Amino acid sequence: MTFFDGLVVGTELPTLARIVTREDVKAYADAGGDQNPLHQDDEVARAAGFDGIIAHGMFTMGHMAACVVGWAGADAHVQRISATFRSPVSMGETLVAGGRVRSLDPQERSARVETWVTVDRDGRAEFPVKRGEAVVRFP
Amino acid sequence: MDPAAEGTVYPPVTFVVEPERVAAFRAVFGQAEGVPPTFLTVPEFTTFPQVLEDPRLDLDFSRVLHGSEEYEYLRPLREGETITVHARIDAIRRKGGSAFMTVVMEMADADGATVALARSTLIERGEGA
Repeated sequence: MTFFDGLVVGTELPTLARIVTREDVKAYADAGGDQNPLHQDDEVARAAGFDGIIAHGMFTMGHMAACVVGWAGADAHVQRISATFRSPVSMGETLVAGGRVRSLDPQERSARVETWVTVDRDGRAEFPVKRGEAVVRFP
Repeated sequence: MDPAAEGTVYPPVTFVVEPERVAAFRAVFGQAEGVPPTFLTVPEFTTFPQVLEDPRLDLDFSRVLHGSEEYEYLRPLREGETITVHARIDAIRRKGGSAFMTVVMEMADADGATVALARSTLIERGEGA
């Protein structure tokens, strides 16, 4: 849980890592309602030019949101969250979500946070989400 | 994707924020309580079929990717409440052989007040893109 009064611009969110598995992506498809076979059927994914199924963009964004919520605490309210999806994520890759406080609004008791999600590919960090953003209002 | 479809407003869709669906969504992302910020994707996907099956768009789903997503809450979503989803095509653009469509959905509560907005960009990749 984070207290607004303790925040300064530049405060980093603790990173949150998760390995992407078929089981979790299927669980997401059921929970989120996006049953596009691109995320469940390797043949369909290969026909679309991928090596195999890829995670939903919203799986990656949901993980990014979990990083923000885990940091802010259940009493805080995420007023805005956004992401641009730059790179498909394959099964077995590890998503690492992070963020940094970019500005604070003392009147609203809200923080604007820059967020991102990285994966390590052959020793190089790539960004499935690079300039995500969240605005969080604290109690 | 016919650019003339830009501005199309679709009939409203009713969606109940069922606690079981919220719990299933929380479980996927390890959230202990509350409504996860990206839960709005569920009412979105309930409403998408009538947009995506619009014959004027003539979408080839095997070439459609999710480009970006933005959610804005005017107040927290409450478990158990009924919302009405108003979808419209905000923009259709072509760039480098691919087509970009921005769909905006406005979610209103029982009093007709806007609770949240969802803005998604879908990309239909061109042949060879």
